[in-house]
Amino acid sequence: MSFATAIRESAIVFPVILSLHLTGMGLFGGMILMTDLRLLGISLTKYPVSDIVNGLRPWKHLGLTLTAGCGILLLWSKAAIYYPNPYLHIKLALFVLIIIHAIVFRGVYRNVADLDRSPVIPGRAKLAAALSILLWISVVTAGRWIGYWEPKGSPVNAAQVFFK
Amino acid sequence: MALFLAYDLANNPLNTNEWAFPVCEVLHILGFAIGIGTITMVDLRLLGIGLKKESAADLWKGTFPWTLGGLALALITGPLIFSSDPNLYLHNASFKFKITMLVAAILFNYTIHRWVALKQSPGGLAVLAGLISLVLWASVIFGGIFIAFV
Repeated sequence: MSFATAIRESAIVFPVILSLHLTGMGLFGGMILMTDLRLLGISLTKYPVSDIVNGLRPWKHLGLTLTAGCGILLLWSKAAIYYPNPYLHIKLALFVLIIIHAIVFRGVYRNVADLDRSPVIPGRAKLAAALSILLWISVVTAGRWIGYWEPKGSPVNAAQVFFK
Repeated sequence: MALFLAYDLANNPLNTNEWAFPVCEVLHILGFAIGIGTITMVDLRLLGIGLKKESAADLWKGTFPWTLGGLALALITGPLIFSSDPNLYLHNASFKFKITMLVAAILFNYTIHRWVALKQSPGGLAVLAGLISLVLWASVIFGGIFIAFV
């Protein structure tokens, strides 16, 4: 039995990986929000931008690794079922946008100490933060919708497939 | 329980509108991700492994409105999801576990966790409070997911 089949057919492994996928989101979601809110000058303004952004970075990466790693395992275990799902395609397209966002705004996040010396947070950094919040909310929305799509003419309910 | 006897599930918008249920779920996930993620920031500081340039008290105060907002969003959408089929949830072992852990986690967060975070020199208490908080909130997430699998 392949590894992917083992995940799909185990009564316990699939929900455990799904739970870890959500736990990673809990770690990542709150921290990306606080990073972006600091860049927007809304929250934790008592501390320099670099202290907050750099301090949260390793934990944000841990959360993202956990979420993405478990997400790949979930996708792999039911690849044939998820493959035709349009919301999966939307979610993957959003990840492409997130990578483009990271490339376009790499100057903001890489040279975050520059922001400490700036009297006001530049519009470019605020734009990066606002787009980041929007993109990640979209990813969660598309992700949840994957479970509700059902292929035409098939008696299989996609939500049941996702939760069985 | 008696409250649900006169209640017709078929009239609940969550069961008649195609979009209502998933929208509630998305808001539930966003709410808990924000609430629990910001609580975790305080926990990491209490454990002494993250955000060491900030004090636990400042992190508590700085994240407070966002933690409260995130938890509120999850606590509004949660009962809405529950209302779609109360009997299913009331007889679900994982749901009972989740609610027990949730009540414990919220009480802990706004009493002991808050007190330790705002304390000047909490010492070993800080590590203990950080660990308890992480375990409680992770239990809530696992309990929530397993509702669909037990």
